[in-house]
Amino acid sequence: MTELTAEDTSLLELVDRLLNKGVVLAGEATISVAGIDLIYLGLNVVLAAVETIEKAQERRAS
Amino acid sequence: MTLLAHAIAAAPPAAMSHDGLRGRSLAWSEAGGLGLWSTEWARDMKLERPDALAHHRLVERICAVQPCLPVRFGTAFATPDEARASLEKRAAALHAALTRVAGKSELALTLLWSKNSGASALRPPSVPEADGPGRRYMEARRAEYAALATRRARAQALVDRVISELAIERPLVWHQTCTSEDVAVSLAVLVPTERALERKAELEHLAARFADVVPVVNGPWPPYTFAGTE
Repeated sequence: MTELTAEDTSLLELVDRLLNKGVVLAGEATISVAGIDLIYLGLNVVLAAVETIEKAQERRAS
Repeated sequence: MTLLAHAIAAAPPAAMSHDGLRGRSLAWSEAGGLGLWSTEWARDMKLERPDALAHHRLVERICAVQPCLPVRFGTAFATPDEARASLEKRAAALHAALTRVAGKSELALTLLWSKNSGASALRPPSVPEADGPGRRYMEARRAEYAALATRRARAQALVDRVISELAIERPLVWHQTCTSEDVAVSLAVLVPTERALERKAELEHLAARFADVVPVVNGPWPPYTFAGTE
């Protein structure tokens, strides 16, 4: 089982709110990040958090 | 010039520093008795991860001086006229949402399955080799579904207990259960801002009593989850 730390969980919950909640205004345009649509920024943040978790697990195991 | 949107508030704008993201100017675009706080952004500037967190801090700053509706991060308008048109178009719904969240903050509760109730609890029991691959597969699937149903029921029971023990009105709560292998409950609650820390302590105290999950309580945050007008 992947163990999420409290810090990872807080970051993921906040990122989820920033990208998936809040007012969606009509006529909005999504800014791309280095040519990647913003949705992937969210994914990258989540992936980064997962990497942090995996590294922490590796440290614990060694 | 592009406008990177942060939050919507009722006009007139509260007095506050006009520092937006990365030290750029914060703009106010007004229409329909509402205004949009946004950073004057350059079209060729790429958003980075730290900008998302800076947006969060900026929304917190705005919420501290006047009731506001956070706008989904990444929303941009090509011109102030476009921003104003967008406000005008949905003014009634936005005013109603502002009334709903005025003076309130969001607390977030995440319940993570503890070690003994996590993925290992979903692992199917071993089936004797003699039973054949088809039977083994079916038995494993059956056990897996049964375990999942048990966990979903337990997660919902945890949600019901939080709502009942904290005497929270259902419309002020949003939740999802079993969103991933680790997460039992992801819950958001809208509380009066002046009592947010007191309510947070109550939430922490209550969640600490659940034996099979590890609680993580966050906030008070701007009312992200309750700002929607859909």
